[in-house]
Amino acid sequence: MDAVYRFALRLAKEPDLAEDLTQETFLRAYQNRDKYTPGTRVKSWLFTICRNLFLRRTERSRRHDEIVTEAADEDARHVSRENSVFMAARDRDPEGEFWKQVVDEEVLRAIDELPPEFREPLILSDLEDLSYQEIAEVIGVPIGTVKSRLFRGRRILQKALYDYAVEQGIVKDTKPDDSIDAEEVSE
Amino acid sequence: MKWVEELRRLLQRVGKEPPSTEPGGIACHEAAERLFEWLDNELESDMHGRVGIHLETCARCYPRLLFEKSFREAVERAAHDGSAPEDLRQRIMTSLESEGLTESEAGRAEDDEA
Repeated sequence: MDAVYRFALRLAKEPDLAEDLTQETFLRAYQNRDKYTPGTRVKSWLFTICRNLFLRRTERSRRHDEIVTEAADEDARHVSRENSVFMAARDRDPEGEFWKQVVDEEVLRAIDELPPEFREPLILSDLEDLSYQEIAEVIGVPIGTVKSRLFRGRRILQKALYDYAVEQGIVKDTKPDDSIDAEEVSE
Repeated sequence: MKWVEELRRLLQRVGKEPPSTEPGGIACHEAAERLFEWLDNELESDMHGRVGIHLETCARCYPRLLFEKSFREAVERAAHDGSAPEDLRQRIMTSLESEGLTESEAGRAEDDEA
């Protein structure tokens, strides 16, 4: 139940809506328990139901979703494979010690600010430990798309948290010549 | 050296990769490209092993591995304090019981969900 609530909370960003979604997810799952495929993870199935309920509630129509995600996927294809935050931080903190000093609330806030097409796979992978195949089934996209969205989502998150760390003085400011390429991580 | 080039051409002609002196037999850029998949345990076992050897023994790539691991740990740490409120738990149980859920079914469902 905790996993579904956590997922709903990150999707909805509002505790009241997350509670409603969690309750409805379990009710729907129980009413449709004959549709569960044995051998698959129950958690994965519950996430699928929860996400569908959320999309319906927020009126993110399927077509709108397709347009947004087509743009996101096209964008993801152009992202460099280079780790720009790593490149920016490597002289001062090559092993990323500063990540340990970024407070949990800030990490969650940065996750909440990710565009949904990147937020969903990141939550399912990094927070809920689903495989690429399971994520692909929950979101209804090919595995390759999951991979590219995860890649891009993590890069955007790293950039946001790195900027926060610089702002808070956790990491010293970058020199202009090795600052993060804004093009690379912009929307 | 001429004979090295000749050997490389011969191996390519028979469809085999020339031997590599890179850790794990793969280049740094390939290891970097597969870093996330390696951390996510999404590579086939042979490739997982080779990428792992490379990342853990290559002086250039090792800091990057530590950097990404540290980032991943920060995300995981932040996410693990999300328990469902007790009154929500109660509400869900009540609504499922009114649908006919029995206590033993509820226990089994909790186990399956994990």
